[in-house]
Amino acid sequence: MIRTTGQLIALHGQLEDRLAEALRSLARLHPEAAGALNKLADESVQHRDTILKVYREGVTDAFEVGYLSRPMDEDEYKVAEPKGSLGEALRTALLNEDTVIRFCRDAAEDSNQLIPGLPQTFLRLAKRKEKRKAVLESLA
Amino acid sequence: MVVLDEPVKGVMEVRNYIDGEWVGSGSDEYREIVNPATMKPLAKVPMGCTEDVEAAVDAAQEAFPAWRRTTPLTRARHFFRLKELLEEHFETVSRVCTMEHGKTIDESRGEVRRGIENVEVATGIPSLMMGYNLEDISTGIDEAVVKQPLGVFACIAPFNFPFMVPLWFMPIAVATGNTYVIKPSPWTPLSMVKLMELVDEAGFPPGVINMVHGDAEPVQAILEHPSVKGVSFVGSSKIGRDVVYKEAASRGKRVQAQCSAKNFLVVMPDADVESTVPGLLSSFFGNAGQRCLAGANLVMVGDDRKFIDGFLAKMQKATQGIRIGYGLEEGIQMGPMQAVPRKQRVLGYIEKGVEEGAKLVLDGRKYDSGAYPRDCFLGPSIFHGVQPNMTIAKEEIFGPVMSVLHAGDLGDAIEMVNASNYGNAASIFTGSGKAARRFQYEVECGNVGINIGTVAPMAFFPFSGMKDSFFGDLHGQGRDAVDFFTERKVVIQRWP
Repeated sequence: MIRTTGQLIALHGQLEDRLAEALRSLARLHPEAAGALNKLADESVQHRDTILKVYREGVTDAFEVGYLSRPMDEDEYKVAEPKGSLGEALRTALLNEDTVIRFCRDAAEDSNQLIPGLPQTFLRLAKRKEKRKAVLESLA
Repeated sequence: MVVLDEPVKGVMEVRNYIDGEWVGSGSDEYREIVNPATMKPLAKVPMGCTEDVEAAVDAAQEAFPAWRRTTPLTRARHFFRLKELLEEHFETVSRVCTMEHGKTIDESRGEVRRGIENVEVATGIPSLMMGYNLEDISTGIDEAVVKQPLGVFACIAPFNFPFMVPLWFMPIAVATGNTYVIKPSPWTPLSMVKLMELVDEAGFPPGVINMVHGDAEPVQAILEHPSVKGVSFVGSSKIGRDVVYKEAASRGKRVQAQCSAKNFLVVMPDADVESTVPGLLSSFFGNAGQRCLAGANLVMVGDDRKFIDGFLAKMQKATQGIRIGYGLEEGIQMGPMQAVPRKQRVLGYIEKGVEEGAKLVLDGRKYDSGAYPRDCFLGPSIFHGVQPNMTIAKEEIFGPVMSVLHAGDLGDAIEMVNASNYGNAASIFTGSGKAARRFQYEVECGNVGINIGTVAPMAFFPFSGMKDSFFGDLHGQGRDAVDFFTERKVVIQRWP
């Protein structure tokens, strides 16, 4: 279970890294869509760094950073390896995006009183990720 | 659970940093520093001697005239560089802090961040150090106040915030043009070693910032050295009052001694339960209770048994759910005590509480540390039915122990807080502005929380404290710090 802010940030980083890795491997298998897929992968890494920056700039020993109001279950957020034809793989990639969007929204809610700017940043990322889905859909 | 990579490999031999060089100590006595979670050795630290302090103070004294003449803007730029380096090494420094202290990685990152905030404040020294003036105090006569540095200052740091506490003092001291000697705790010297590596890389001139390791002998040498103009100390009231304040003040030095505490957290019947419980958990058990702002006494106000029983049951359940372990695992919420003697001290207080008739409803002694050695681990404890005259309600325990007391009304609760010898922090949890205002107005404490459990002032506010929690007059951080580290010189001039 995710109980601390540090754990939350670490899991977000892992999800973005896996997302990026999955998109890059998809790009290798389907060179016709490589440009767009690699760009999305780079963006995932940026999203990871954005959250890490907000966390590191806002973490403090003064407030309750060690205690999420509602523990989160990491097993509810899994990123899968896209396989099969381009169409099948893109469907998996879209599901992955949905998973990370759901994580960002849950994290925004559960980190509400912890670190200034963190919930808003998670929500902003969730919005940006919605736009990424349109890019993936256009590749199908 | 994955343990983050440990930045300290092998056993370091810790050296002093004097006049821009890493040098050995004149002492041949060493203490072994161990990771309190794993009990693996991390370093050997010298116990220090008078000669070490003399070398450091001499270097600082020699560096002072040129540093004082360095423009405030240039001095500030050194701190901009230090800030950049601290950001770059943020994670490494945080992990070192966890390894030597035992606190969780979230807590260490929070500590490092608050240290960096003090460096950020110091970068504003050209504005902060400005004096003031008035033309024509009489015909053709002007008067001005200028703030000037004094010389060499020193800090005697505690074990509980090995990175942050020296940074409450050093950046403002040095940015205002003084030179500095840091003496880290001999229990947790490694965070300061990392800081001094970065100070060195940032290019501060040799002698401006120095570090001497050790225990009682170097402390005495700092207090006695005629070139040391002032001392900042954080530690127990006994040492702060009977040693640091007396010895330094009697020699005409400036002193700010931030000392022990017994902090009360008052819960009114109209408190918001959902937000209060996490605040209390963090306050009582954060840093395993080893902080001068830690909650110690929980005062439940009123006679609404349903509210009180429900609240305490929630508190107990949440406390039982705290994950304890090695702080380098991300999901850990409480680490071990910093060292075996600290655990022994807390165990003594738990026994005392039982002896004096308090009801131990959660016994931290039963905590099983699993894969890790038991030496320093201790679970959180909760006592119910604590009376104000019991030892556990009066003395600083400095560990994860919550004592629950009861007060008939807010007035009784305030009286209870004010009866304590200490005056570091007190908090009230309430939905009533009237109650909050009365609490803020009447309570005799330097740091007051309203619906906040750990009242840790930001770098631009003073870290206050009253009664036996503070000896001196100007506190660390904020404008107090600028005044502590500068002399206000009045200039009155006439040009006929």
